[in-house]
Amino acid sequence: MKLLTSAIAIAASLYGAQAFAWEATEGRPFEGQTVQVLAVKSSQFEAHEARLAEFEEATGIDVVYDYVPFPNMKEALTTEMVAGGDYDVVSVMDQWVVSLQMLLTPIGEEMEAQGTDLSDFPAAHMRHGMLDGELIGLPVRGHVQLLFYRTDLLEAAGVAPPETWEEMVTVAQAVQDSSDAAGIVLPYGKLSGQNMMVWMNLLWGNGGDLFDADGNPIFNSPEGAAATETYIGYLTDEIVPAGSAVFVEQDAVNSFKQGNSAMLPVWWWVRSQLTDPEQSTLTADQVGFTALPYVDGADRTTFTNTWIFGVTEESDVKGAATEFLGWLTDPALERDVLLDPELDEVVAVHMSNLTDPEVNERWGGMHQAAADALATAEGIDFGDNWPRVSEILETAISSLASGEQTDVQAVLDQAAEDIVAIR
Amino acid sequence: MQNRLLPYWLLVPAFVIVLATTIYPVAYSFITSFRAWDLTESRRPQGFVGLDNYFYAATESAFLNSLWVTFIFVVTSVILTVVLAMALALLLRRKGPMHTFTRIVLILPFAMSPALIGVSYRFMFNPEFGVLANGIGAIFPALQGVPWLADPDLAMAILVLTDVWHWTPYMTFMCLGGLASIPRETEEAARIDGASNLRIVFGIILPQMRGVILVMAVLKTIFALKMFDQVVTLTGGGPGTSTETLAYFIFNVGFRWFDMGYASALAWILTAIMMFISIWYVRMLLSERKMATA
Repeated sequence: MKLLTSAIAIAASLYGAQAFAWEATEGRPFEGQTVQVLAVKSSQFEAHEARLAEFEEATGIDVVYDYVPFPNMKEALTTEMVAGGDYDVVSVMDQWVVSLQMLLTPIGEEMEAQGTDLSDFPAAHMRHGMLDGELIGLPVRGHVQLLFYRTDLLEAAGVAPPETWEEMVTVAQAVQDSSDAAGIVLPYGKLSGQNMMVWMNLLWGNGGDLFDADGNPIFNSPEGAAATETYIGYLTDEIVPAGSAVFVEQDAVNSFKQGNSAMLPVWWWVRSQLTDPEQSTLTADQVGFTALPYVDGADRTTFTNTWIFGVTEESDVKGAATEFLGWLTDPALERDVLLDPELDEVVAVHMSNLTDPEVNERWGGMHQAAADALATAEGIDFGDNWPRVSEILETAISSLASGEQTDVQAVLDQAAEDIVAIR
Repeated sequence: MQNRLLPYWLLVPAFVIVLATTIYPVAYSFITSFRAWDLTESRRPQGFVGLDNYFYAATESAFLNSLWVTFIFVVTSVILTVVLAMALALLLRRKGPMHTFTRIVLILPFAMSPALIGVSYRFMFNPEFGVLANGIGAIFPALQGVPWLADPDLAMAILVLTDVWHWTPYMTFMCLGGLASIPRETEEAARIDGASNLRIVFGIILPQMRGVILVMAVLKTIFALKMFDQVVTLTGGGPGTSTETLAYFIFNVGFRWFDMGYASALAWILTAIMMFISIWYVRMLLSERKMATA
């Protein structure tokens, strides 16, 4: 049975592959070469790997994937950058691109020759593939934030999903009055800047930002302080679960999956987990989604997360590697994965797929919501000091959330001072 | 001639291995600590900056905080581990029907990976579904729903608890070894003279265990100074910076912020602290031996 299922999956993938727009370079110039890929562990990338047969047959290039779990990915990339030579193509998260810039080589001309349409990528994702005006990587995995909610709990409370953060508080309190669930679950704990991801939306919505045009911290402005007080206020209003002060993203997701919270603002890729019977107590009927709330009177915002794929500086098979990138970033490959009934993959980075009627029909309009959010997404320029900046900011939020510090303005001022003092 | 050189030739492989795996990396990191090396700018160490990295450490609040956090952690975990291990060893010294079984069970915590311990305790203290958080809440209703890891002091207490839980079994076995070497006659003589159990423990057993306790304390101190795994998996250094130990801070500087020169300097500060403790320990041992043979 397993064999039959695999055969059907391979046949289906080969059938879908016939529709790809990507075409192999004539004459198979890289035949016999092997491209080693270092990718973060993800079911999306595994779906790509499962479709490699068509690429390998067309080009004569062998592609070998090695996966590393997310918590170890940066260390793996750092090792590759310093020791070098093991991989030809690597996946790099947006926040790491600048600090790992020596790992990647410019690929602008090669991708142009491949016919890759860069204008099909949303600007919020594409910006992370550019460094000093040169193309060094292409988005393959990209996320926006959505607000997932319990349809049954909101209905029982007689409230509609919130449009604004102000409405969110009212909805959360109404749900708490009519059930045992917490109104909303938010991560305030420290891990890779996860506690900044909702806070950033409040910061932008209040008219603030992290830095001014000269790179000076301005998050400690009155707008920044107001955004921070609002974010910490959700804890003191007790509309989040006990323990949220140390929740990281996965804790928040677990709380929602176990039915302990009614709303969850998180990356859209989490959707498949929320209704997976092996991981969650919830059914598809109980989980709805809407665009992330915005600050009343301000534009809609979303924090974005982008994984680019680039070719390594030390690669001996750069031609084969860019040929592979051309295939990997073909919108038709992405569409094929999105519409594969055997898979539960929602992630897309091509505008043509985000606005595709068939894709939106399958996923209930989620991709159009993402496209709308991406249209006004502010994005962040992650400089080479970003890991340190992120650590300082997430520590400041964590200190306030835990009650270790209580003076919001003083904490933000200290964080700004620490960032200025970075060597 | 050949026979005279043979022993040295036989030593060469071992020497090369030690040179490559220990001496070279240690020397390289020492030299790096006097250089600038921003991994985002260069794959190789950059120019020499003298003592800049060390001076910077002396003024950086994050480093000073990590030193203080490490001090609190080391003092509490060492004292608790040694006291508990000694108490358990005294309990387990007498042979009973469950003697072997108890010893086997006792060693299990030490066999567990520290990273796994951190993850497990993180789950167990989760206020929503954690077995320990809910168990404590069931016994003491006032503590139901307490966000244990969200409070800076409680987070540190739980970090210490996981370390004590991990190390106490091993230390208990060290104590049992030490207790086995104490002549029973002295204790029996004291008992005949009417000494109480407490008097026997404090007047006879502990003075003879001084050397073993010293070894335990020094070993435990060195391992506590290197506390890293549970910080990563249990608290992430938080809330705020309340559990950010020196080893964790060094990891952040080197592998998250890519400042390898500064990270090397910090690593050498940690090494210097451990070397100081080790030298002090050896001197103490030597003076003990002198006193014993005098």
